[in-house]
Amino acid sequence: MSFPPALLELLVLCLGLALLLVESFTEKQDRTLLAYIGMVGLGVIFLILQLLPPGPTGMASYVFDPVAIFFKKFVVLTTIIVLIMSVDYATTIQRFVPGISSQAGLGEFFAIPILTCAGMMWMASAIDFILIFVSLELVTISFYVLVAFMRRNASSLEAGVKYLILSAFSTGFFAYGAAWIFGVTGNTNLVRIQQVLPALGAENYSAILFGALLVLVGLGFKIAAAPFQFWVPDVYQGAPTPITAFLSVGSKAVGFIVLLRVVQAFQSLPPVGDKVVAALIILAAATLIYGNLAALPQTNLKRLLAYSSIGHAGYLLMAVAGISARDSGQAVVIYLAAYLLMTLLSFLILIIVSNYADGDEIVNFNGLSQRSPLLAFGLLVAMMSLAGVPFTAGFLGKFLVFKVAYESQQFVLLALGIITVGCGFYYYLKVVRAMYWQSAASNGATIPVSGLSFATIVLLVLFTFLLGIFPQMATGLLR
Amino acid sequence: MDSVAWIILFTPLVSALVITLFTQPYRKLSSYLSVAAVGISFLFSLIVFFSPDGSAGFTWIDLGIFQVRIGYLIDGLTRLMLLVVSGVGLLIHIYSIGYMQDDAGRSRYFGALSLFMFSMLGIVLADNFIMMFMSWELVGVSSYLLIGHWFFRSSAADAANKAFLVNRIGDFGFMLGILLVWSATGTVAFTELTHKWSSLALGSTFMTVAPLLVFCGAVGKSAQFPLHVWLPDAMEGPTPVSALIHAATMVAAGVFMLARTFFLFEHSPLALGIILWIGLITSLLAAFMATQQSDIKRVLAYSTLSQLGLMVAAVGLAAPGAGIFHLFTHASFKALLFLGAGSVIHSLHHEQNIWHMGGLQRRMPITFWTFLVGTLALIACPPFSGFWSKDGILAASQGNFPAFCAIALVTFLTAFYMARLFVVAFLGHSRTEHAEHAHESPRVMTVPLILLAIPATIAGLPPIASLFWRVSGHEGSPATAIIVSLVAFVAGVLAGFALYRSRDKDPLNIPLFEYRFYIDQLYDQLVKWTQDLLAGICGFVDRWIIDGGVVRGLSGMTWGTGFALRFLQIGNLQAYAFLFGLGVVVLLYFILFGVP
Amino acid sequence: MVQDYLPILLQVIVAIGFAGVALLASVVLGRVGRRNPTKDSAYECGMIAKGEPQPRFSVKFYLVAMLFILFDIELVFMYPWAVAYRDYIATYNAWTIFGSMFGFVFILMVGFVYAIKKGALDWKR
Repeated sequence: MSFPPALLELLVLCLGLALLLVESFTEKQDRTLLAYIGMVGLGVIFLILQLLPPGPTGMASYVFDPVAIFFKKFVVLTTIIVLIMSVDYATTIQRFVPGISSQAGLGEFFAIPILTCAGMMWMASAIDFILIFVSLELVTISFYVLVAFMRRNASSLEAGVKYLILSAFSTGFFAYGAAWIFGVTGNTNLVRIQQVLPALGAENYSAILFGALLVLVGLGFKIAAAPFQFWVPDVYQGAPTPITAFLSVGSKAVGFIVLLRVVQAFQSLPPVGDKVVAALIILAAATLIYGNLAALPQTNLKRLLAYSSIGHAGYLLMAVAGISARDSGQAVVIYLAAYLLMTLLSFLILIIVSNYADGDEIVNFNGLSQRSPLLAFGLLVAMMSLAGVPFTAGFLGKFLVFKVAYESQQFVLLALGIITVGCGFYYYLKVVRAMYWQSAASNGATIPVSGLSFATIVLLVLFTFLLGIFPQMATGLLR
Repeated sequence: MDSVAWIILFTPLVSALVITLFTQPYRKLSSYLSVAAVGISFLFSLIVFFSPDGSAGFTWIDLGIFQVRIGYLIDGLTRLMLLVVSGVGLLIHIYSIGYMQDDAGRSRYFGALSLFMFSMLGIVLADNFIMMFMSWELVGVSSYLLIGHWFFRSSAADAANKAFLVNRIGDFGFMLGILLVWSATGTVAFTELTHKWSSLALGSTFMTVAPLLVFCGAVGKSAQFPLHVWLPDAMEGPTPVSALIHAATMVAAGVFMLARTFFLFEHSPLALGIILWIGLITSLLAAFMATQQSDIKRVLAYSTLSQLGLMVAAVGLAAPGAGIFHLFTHASFKALLFLGAGSVIHSLHHEQNIWHMGGLQRRMPITFWTFLVGTLALIACPPFSGFWSKDGILAASQGNFPAFCAIALVTFLTAFYMARLFVVAFLGHSRTEHAEHAHESPRVMTVPLILLAIPATIAGLPPIASLFWRVSGHEGSPATAIIVSLVAFVAGVLAGFALYRSRDKDPLNIPLFEYRFYIDQLYDQLVKWTQDLLAGICGFVDRWIIDGGVVRGLSGMTWGTGFALRFLQIGNLQAYAFLFGLGVVVLLYFILFGVP
Repeated sequence: MVQDYLPILLQVIVAIGFAGVALLASVVLGRVGRRNPTKDSAYECGMIAKGEPQPRFSVKFYLVAMLFILFDIELVFMYPWAVAYRDYIATYNAWTIFGSMFGFVFILMVGFVYAIKKGALDWKR
């Protein structure tokens, strides 16, 4: 092998550190330049990922399989789009960050997501509890900083504190669970654990199960599964919007890949594996119900998206709970790909509009179709896809998830999923109605959109449709 | 042959895309594009009409065990429906050019119209359940757009929502039905299913439940009781849309689907019985409601409901041929009636109340005469088309006395309320100034009326009907059926004339009919209760447990009330942590001790 | 199995015993002499306690303290690495072992440079 894949994370890390250094040494330079450097650098990483074939890595705790490659591309792409959003969001950041120069703090706001990205890339490949833990912490700690970034904004600070404490709480559970598993199996490596498990005596089952459930709790926090989702609405609403997008896409996605790998490892011991699946079913059901019902009365789009993100975690958990079906992993992957497209699209447009209208209530979107047809159409596509209208990426994802639930005989979850999709239609259409059927109160002018954001919106819309109309493209993602 | 079907199907789609994406600002161009597209579809439908049966397709989505095929199936049923859908569609498109002349959202309107044609043709051509279901849903979406075209009127927006939501209830059942059929046979293609279904060795419960679930789709789309509530409200859309939705297409889709999948039903007498009585109940209720409406479009809407009930009842009588025949004749005369009503409304400056009309005979001669033709066809006056098709349904019910009586009663009521409508709206003297200054509509609107009057008159005549209707020959009706239907018709017309000649307001006043048996109110209450309950629970959870007033407080209050807020804030995080811990404990307890 | 925990039990007993004995001794012995206000005041290395119970620090203090802890903890990682280094180079690639610690220190170094450039250690700013 000519290019060791583990070098990629190091490159991303170095990129982030380099940006931080450049930031501290050049005080006069326009900070957005850093964001562009970051985007280009990550773009190069994405190209390398595109070229690297999956294969053995020679490391016990690090794999480079198709799933890992997919998730690495996923987070790199997410980070690039988050940086694009951050450039649009810069004016809001400047208002809430005190400093001598007008661009104080902006450099860090562009550089830290790249460090987060490195952590997420590690997580995508990690198959050892220690590496998982360390990369998880890299992700989480950088998020602590980013969530509370707007120091003069009370809700951002509040969100930061909530995220810090609850996240630390959940990490404790994760580490405790991993310790129990290590105590019983003598291993932290998931592959080794999978091999060792079937040989264990029945007296160890409770201990293993206890450990597995605690790990589940820790991961449940990351992916915003009920009942560990309490932080989500407040933190999502308070955090700077690009970071909210990053949290809801990137953080969730890597949570799911780790969840998949952990759950897979425990399937080698059916008495424990079945109960883990039972726990997943409970979590999935609770998440579906909570996320979709609580979204119904929302009037703030950012908060609505937070609840919707909980709801989508529920569908994803459905797919994980159907681990016995052949395509469970594939369903998760494709759902996440669709989720990336539509969620980032919504957040991107949310940022542009709320920057201009100075608020992210749904009311601010009234009559958007007359003011900025492109933005309205983009958000329409995003909402349709989130709701699961056919011929959009979101429909494909939901369809595959339901198929998995059907094949693994989870009929209760299936029924629940279908009912909650109905709920989803209601609250997503609320946004569409505001944009197309309500007339604008004020600010009737067209909203300016930067060229880069424009191109991103067009691309995201295009791929939302492409994935929905030619699903073969999606299945090709894993080959 | 192969490409002809594709051209029919995809031309409207291309038009819809082009209109939405490119010609939005050029309203005239958009409308011509849309008309041209449906014109092409109609021409090729004619070609298909004279060509042999066939089917072809390709696999569109291939996900391992699940495949979605896009394919068409052309047989007698398809040929007829293609002609009806594209023919009536074409006339309505042309008529819309005139009707929507002053509308600012014309591009949007024609885009949605094209999308509607595409999805409707998709249902007709589909050779499998999945493609049919997808088109089915698209029909729902496009009708939502069309009904809500004048969205700035809150009644239109509500009607669109109502139509969409009510349809989804039916579609949910439809989807479950498809899934059941698929899981039992492993296929969704109609031709394969026809063979496999009859040889299935499954319990009679399954053989009844699966078809009935599929029937749910038809209940929603064809507006059968108890999901009929959306159809009258859908009158909020522009009149051509009412005609399009009510006459040939959207509501007929349900009946067409029943005829297409009749092989599912024929083995279950129970399922057929339920379908029969759902149809009859719908038909009777709607006929009663129609006798007390004063909005011209609403009368026609209830009459549509009533006729659809008859068609569904025909399927329930194991005579889908008779149902489709009625669908075919109904498509022409009901479109004619709606367009005639639209012409009246247009020239009376959007006046829809029949008690504000009157004396239109001389002022709008073309509209008057064509409307008369439509009325005669609807009330089954020989030799107009409606007579033959209704007679067929009546004949099919001869073995079933209650059903026979119900259909005869519906025939009587139809004659009665149509006579009422005609007498009040067209005859007598003008009751308002608008009616006095009415004038004939432009030619682009009257020509479709005349064109539609032709099939409404002759389409039922046996020699002509046999040309179109090759699926099952229209047997000669027994004498009893003919006599009963004639008696009911004459009695209804006489009663209508006797009661309503030169009246200025309604001599009858039956609130039960006028308020549609209070079914809408009941539903509203039901929906409101469940919604209130759900919203209450969600609101409670959100406000007191999740929100704790903090976030809301932050956005609402200023920092002046900081202390209480900060206090809550601290408590809040602790509450979160507490709930988190509680969740962990409950989960652990459940899994470690609860799950066997 | 249970015997394994004996040392822990012993340690617990010793800890409680020591604390108890110390407290008891101070109470018993303290009663003996004569008392005066100076004697009764809290023992504070010769300084007389006054002012607020919780004096306010400049926020910079916390910043510096945090940085101190950060770079202090770094040593905790270095120590076991240094101890195991000699054994590990026998079996593993020496450059990997060395490189990983180098990388670690390098990252810290970046952080240090960043902190200095940002003036985090500049008390006057």
